[in-house]
Amino acid sequence: MIELHGVTKTFNKKTQVLKGIDLTVEEGQTVALIGSSGSGKSTLLRCINLLETPDTGTIRIGDYQFDAEHINHSVRKQVRTKTAMVFQNFGLFANKTALENVTEGLLVVQKKNREEANEIARRYLDKVGMADRANYYPTALSGGQKQRVGIARALALNPKIILFDEPTSALDPELVGEVLQVIRKVSEENVTMLVVTHEMDFARDVADRVAFMDDGQILEYGDPKEVFQNPKEERTKQFLQRYLQRFTYVI
Amino acid sequence: MGKIFDPQFMIEIIPDILKGIPYTLLIAVVAFFVGCVLGLIGAFAKIYRVPVLRQITAVYVSFIRGTPLIVQILLIYYAIPILVRVINARFGTNYDISWIPAVVFMLIAFSINAGAYLTESIRASILAIDKGQLEAAYSIGMSTWSAMIRIVLPQAVKVGLPVFANFFIGLMKDTSLAFTAAVPEIMGQAKIEAGRASRFFEAYIDAALIYWGLCLIFERLVALLEKHVSKSEKGVTK
Repeated sequence: MIELHGVTKTFNKKTQVLKGIDLTVEEGQTVALIGSSGSGKSTLLRCINLLETPDTGTIRIGDYQFDAEHINHSVRKQVRTKTAMVFQNFGLFANKTALENVTEGLLVVQKKNREEANEIARRYLDKVGMADRANYYPTALSGGQKQRVGIARALALNPKIILFDEPTSALDPELVGEVLQVIRKVSEENVTMLVVTHEMDFARDVADRVAFMDDGQILEYGDPKEVFQNPKEERTKQFLQRYLQRFTYVI
Repeated sequence: MGKIFDPQFMIEIIPDILKGIPYTLLIAVVAFFVGCVLGLIGAFAKIYRVPVLRQITAVYVSFIRGTPLIVQILLIYYAIPILVRVINARFGTNYDISWIPAVVFMLIAFSINAGAYLTESIRASILAIDKGQLEAAYSIGMSTWSAMIRIVLPQAVKVGLPVFANFFIGLMKDTSLAFTAAVPEIMGQAKIEAGRASRFFEAYIDAALIYWGLCLIFERLVALLEKHVSKSEKGVTK
């Protein structure tokens, strides 16, 4: 379970990006974080694994809790061994094969032996349908394949939560499906996930909870059907309407 | 009355001038590797904005890049004996400067020079690796140290390979300035042979050809290395 209380973040002493975030992600839940660009979704995600350092607030990951005011080297290390992240631009290590990308954390951070690491990595590559590409370098993989390796890398670490930062935003439209399918499959296995996404269909169909973020705050939080069909806030309505409109264009 | 140009003499002295190659290579290789270490320290000081070290690096790089190599060589050549005398005077020791071979002075001078140039090259190579990979390494719990050693630096070396190779070729030729400190490298040997018969042009042609030959061999090696590097990571292993 992940709990955030009063998390704030200001960039350059003047741009407040997060204005006091409270958010709970229950064990095994998939929470979709939606909202327009610049609303602070990615920053919130990056504050959880401390790629950004929050200014104030407390964060609990499983039974590990810390204050924004007391973040040091060991807190960062603790937090990052309990979380994993899937990046918009994949973040695959270019000098490592698909398999080595997955084993890297197992070997270096979790200190597993190579045999065990390889076995775990192959299992997760198989899960994301990339077993036959284990020995390929990232340059030889398509965007969708890269992202599936990225997901395998995150899963293999067996973290308390996986943070997805717009995992399909950098993909060609025809590759989005294969990645969403993998994420859906993972979510059905009760892995705890927080997913920043612009894929509204995905948020509605796959997420257990949806959080709508606007201007550094979570305006709405609840069951996807509730949020999508009966948004309470005017801002949410506007946002969703724009997306619905986009769909009518497509048709 | 001697000949205007003496090809026979030119060929005769080649073996003697070739004896300078080990010195040339010694200075170039040592300076390159020590320079890489200094350059790495400088690059990290700049990238991670390490207080004090960053300012020292800035002055160091600026000074070395802003002064001629020959001046730096002479400064080191005269500074070290003075330093030894100062130490002797202050601590009552009795170190004898003449025990230190001239080549050591040159190793120090060229290393310091290489370090400044390599600081910038290494910094650029590291920054060329996209930040996403470093963040990904952090996100799976890796330390900055492991991320650098295992992910960033191996790629930075490949990115910087042409630049480093170019620098090494330049360095190899710059070692010819070591003759000013009477180091018997290629140029030093050429001068000795030339002086013996007062046939300078012949000796310098030899020196030029030998430097050229060395550079050709090195360029060939680098081309092979680059080919090898670009072959891996494009596709599949095993």
